[in-house]
Amino acid sequence: MKKFDYLKPRTIDEALSLLNQYGKRAKLVAGGTDVMVMIKQKRISPDVLISLSGITGLDQIQYDGALRIGPMVTHRQIEKSQVIRKEFSALADAVDVLGSIQIRNVATIAGNICNAAPSADTATPLLVLGAQVKIKGLKGERTVSIESFFKGPGETVLEEGELVTELIIPKPLPFTGSAYWKHQRRLALDLPILGVSVLLSLDRNRISCPDILCATSPISTVLHAMEQEGLVCKEVRIGLGVAAPTPMRAIKAEGLLRGKRISDELLQEVAETASNEAQPRDTIRAEAWYRREMIRVLVRRMAMRSIERVIRPEETVFPTRAW
Amino acid sequence: MEEFINIGKRIPKTDAEEKVTGRAVYIHDLKVPGMLFGKILYSPHAHAKILNIDTSRAERLLGVKAILTGYNIPSIKFGFYKDNVPLKAGKVRSCRDEVAAVAATDPDIAEEALDLIRVDYEILPSVFDPEEAMKEGAPLVHDEHVGGKEKRPTNVLNLPWRLIAGDVDEARRQSAYVAEDRFRVTWVTHCCMGTSGCLAQFDLKNNLTIYSITQIPSLAQRDFTEALSAMGLQGKKVRVIKTMIGGGFGSKLDTYAFEYIAILLAHKTHKPVKIVFSREEEFFATSPRQPAIIDIAQGCTRDGRLTFRDVRMILDNGAYTSWGATTPSVMMMPISSLYKVPNVRYVAKCVYTNNTYSQAMRGYGNPQATFAIDSQIDILAEMAGIDPLDFRLRNANTPGEITPQNFKIITCGLRECIDAVAQKLDWRQNRGRRDGRGVGMASLIHVGGGARVYKSDGCGTIIKIDDFGTVNVFTGATDMGQGADTVIAQIVAEELGVRTEDVVVIHTDTDVCPWDVGAHASRTTFVAGNSALGAAKKVKQLLLEVAGQTLGESPENLDIRDRTVFSKRDPEKKSPLGKVLRAAHYTTGGRMVMAEYFYDPANENLDREFKGNLSVTYSYGTHGVEVEVDKETGQVKILKYVAAHDVGKAINPMLLEGQVYGGVAMGIGYALTERLISQNGKVMNPNFLDYKMLTAKDVPNVDPIVIETNDPFGPFGAKGIGEPGLVPTAPAIANAIYDALGVRIKDLPITPEKVLAALKQKTKPQ
Ligand SMILES: Cc1cc2nc3c(=O)[nH]c(=O)nc-3n(C[C@H](O)[C@H](O)[C@H](O)COP(=O)(O)OP(=O)(O)OC[C@H]3O[C@@H](n4cnc5c(N)ncnc54)[C@H](O)[C@@H]3O)c2cc1C
Repeated sequence: MKKFDYLKPRTIDEALSLLNQYGKRAKLVAGGTDVMVMIKQKRISPDVLISLSGITGLDQIQYDGALRIGPMVTHRQIEKSQVIRKEFSALADAVDVLGSIQIRNVATIAGNICNAAPSADTATPLLVLGAQVKIKGLKGERTVSIESFFKGPGETVLEEGELVTELIIPKPLPFTGSAYWKHQRRLALDLPILGVSVLLSLDRNRISCPDILCATSPISTVLHAMEQEGLVCKEVRIGLGVAAPTPMRAIKAEGLLRGKRISDELLQEVAETASNEAQPRDTIRAEAWYRREMIRVLVRRMAMRSIERVIRPEETVFPTRAW
Repeated sequence: MEEFINIGKRIPKTDAEEKVTGRAVYIHDLKVPGMLFGKILYSPHAHAKILNIDTSRAERLLGVKAILTGYNIPSIKFGFYKDNVPLKAGKVRSCRDEVAAVAATDPDIAEEALDLIRVDYEILPSVFDPEEAMKEGAPLVHDEHVGGKEKRPTNVLNLPWRLIAGDVDEARRQSAYVAEDRFRVTWVTHCCMGTSGCLAQFDLKNNLTIYSITQIPSLAQRDFTEALSAMGLQGKKVRVIKTMIGGGFGSKLDTYAFEYIAILLAHKTHKPVKIVFSREEEFFATSPRQPAIIDIAQGCTRDGRLTFRDVRMILDNGAYTSWGATTPSVMMMPISSLYKVPNVRYVAKCVYTNNTYSQAMRGYGNPQATFAIDSQIDILAEMAGIDPLDFRLRNANTPGEITPQNFKIITCGLRECIDAVAQKLDWRQNRGRRDGRGVGMASLIHVGGGARVYKSDGCGTIIKIDDFGTVNVFTGATDMGQGADTVIAQIVAEELGVRTEDVVVIHTDTDVCPWDVGAHASRTTFVAGNSALGAAKKVKQLLLEVAGQTLGESPENLDIRDRTVFSKRDPEKKSPLGKVLRAAHYTTGGRMVMAEYFYDPANENLDREFKGNLSVTYSYGTHGVEVEVDKETGQVKILKYVAAHDVGKAINPMLLEGQVYGGVAMGIGYALTERLISQNGKVMNPNFLDYKMLTAKDVPNVDPIVIETNDPFGPFGAKGIGEPGLVPTAPAIANAIYDALGVRIKDLPITPEKVLAALKQKTKPQ
């Protein structure tokens, strides 16, 4: 492996000036689980690694109306956060299945999105949760939405010398549930064939028979039974990973559902539309037809899981069912 | 019932602490003074002429001590067919072909040097599909290779595998039901935890010491001795020393280019040279299991008795030929002898392609053949309207049987295995629901008493005992993680009346240890165990003689228990082993207490018709599985897994279960997730991210059931169990998926895509 210097600034400003000083010769590193792999594979060969690990206070999760996540917060911290599990469930779903515990102990969520892999597990949960990314450079600070953050595979709006200082997730509307599904071939140490996140805000959290949701019947039967309830979808966001060059929102599909009564037919149509909006590719990991097919299946399932989380929050914090 | 002190006990592997604390010395840990690091440059093309190799820039790099190419090394040929050379000249035939090698003072420098070597190629037309490769006019992988009566250039190897017993055509005409199918299996690889490597070192007299992780120390010694001759070093000695081995699974049954390259570099530089594979190299530059295209037909009578089995197979040999090309000889075993089938025909061809060359892997052809056979048993049973459980019971092998390949079945617990699995799965209750949940089973036969592949199937043992009663066993066997050392220690300890921890097994050095044909064919416990037992018996006799003199008792009246020799007539007359030994050593005209024994089982080489009693005894087993399939995603979840094995006798139930757990995990990978993805001859997934070996989270609970049939020839009744654990896994799972959904997947791995596509096909309106 190529040799490099390892610098450990004490403040963000010091980090910024080092980044500025070394320019292209430097690489910023958080947990290093992407950076070290890339160095070993000779995909990058920095002379200097600038680590954020020497700066105190970057590993905080705060909830003060909005959720604020520092740039050195690890996936494991998120996994253990009760507030994230309850209020921002899709994100908890993502870190539950990311890599392995060993990886989650060191890898950061900021690293995950800055690396900008189309398969990044936290990307679509952040999309549907409406996250904002705070960026700092020598020239100053700016905040961009996570949607405009990704530019292409491995590409973000970050300019040379800039770094991410915080992720901000607004408090969801009342009666909101969200869920993420990583479609993978193994249960650990895998990247998603497809990642699907859904966030749904309903008009209420009570229905006459919440137990329908525990039925083991097929999803369509449960949805048919639920249709009588006349639940209305106030807000919806659908995020798809590995379905396009960047994590994407299925905007058309969302439009079909927003403000409507939830029914099986409608959810099927929504899923179908999301599937058509996506631009999946054939890769060695999976073929496009299968990815499209799975969008159809999983958008519906994640919508169901989101609804379930609104209506049966206690029971479904750790759901074991497929939806 | 005899009371055992060591046999049948759950004794942890003797090297367990060393391994889990990181103290065990693997090839990766080995350092010797002055050592250089070797690295290999591989061809990026599957088939190309080498026009020019320019090493001049690499040679100038500081720290580079030697660069070899196919143009500046002596002609060393290796492999089963002697069609491979350490470094290629003229042309490359696959993407893993070695074209140059560097020795440098540092692995990074060696790597950098590789980047500086320029090779000019002219790309040649290539062939990746064995059926295409067999056609007239296909690109020739080895231009000089000729075959057939006409001795024409061809890609088909001159290995005419052909087994015929009875009259298949007549039996087919007589059959009430006939099933006919094509199955396909693809490359999977061993995934040894320890990557490959070796360290070669010459002394001043040009004798070679090679630190190695081979499964075949004695045969490797011969291969390397031949290589020395080719290098002009006739008569020089080769010493093979094994480090701790991080898994074998058949991957170390051949010698490989990297070993010859290390030898050549060490000789050129007069320095020790170590080559250790990266994980990526381990994936693309070692040899996987053979892919095969299997056309199979089986028939039965109206009441479900098998009438015939007719199998044609094409195996993708890849660009070179390893011992793996002989896997059809093992495939013959299930084809002729799994269940009672009177008429059998098997014809197989191994075909050169520009793919990676394949080789031995746990089961040695048996998993491929059994996938086809036992998947089709379910198909046939359904045609005959018989529950596959009853179908299997009706055709199950029995003790005393002589199979169409002339195997003499001594002990056989197949029925018991089938019954046990059916019971654990609640078969009658759970079968045939077609509601997304299903149960399936499949069985296996494997050699359990050695296998006479070579002229000898022997193994030697030497035992000596020191002044303190410690027993040193020098065995030819190889412990590559499976626990051979522990089992051998248990066997010797039992015979000598000591404890397993009193026995130290040494297997690591050809200068010290006796000869053995290798750790293959699930033979080690049986053959090395019998060999150790034979030596222990001789040593015991000597011990009793020596003790008899000091105790004034005739040896027949003496026995050993709990590290003490005692008189069976007068228990007061006794002496601790150490004391007996000291008496032997500190006496005028004293003696050593040691003995040697060579055990070569009474099995037979297959004759010209590929018939003969290949093994002294055979192991049987049945696996059963309950699955749940997600009909919308095609994903298969294993709810329950039962693995019943007739093992003769469990010498160490803990290690035995370990073999079964590991086998099943490997088998589930083979069935559902694992494959090397090859595109134009290049391995596209040379890493654990994209090669989907199961993780601890994916492996289901496995319920191992041990059926003991106490084989009269096995050491304390034991039969082989190393390979069987993964043989019937894939067909058992395929059968369960069929039971769950009514779709039959005939090619491995059974991915969600295949299941979903088959389901859609099935529900498509006609
Ligand atoms: C074995 C293994 C399994 C994995 N499994 C998964 C998985 O299941 N799902 C998944 O999505 N990923 C997975 N990954 C990838 C990786 O772990 C994640 O992307 C992780 O979140 C990266 O975080 P890190 O802190 O290690 O990032 P680093 O490697 O330190 O950095 C990644 C990138 O982000 C940049 N960066 C880091 N912090 C900042 C910042 N504050 N501002 C600007 N740029 C920054 C770095 O310069 C670099 O380009 C896996 C990796 C490994 C090795």
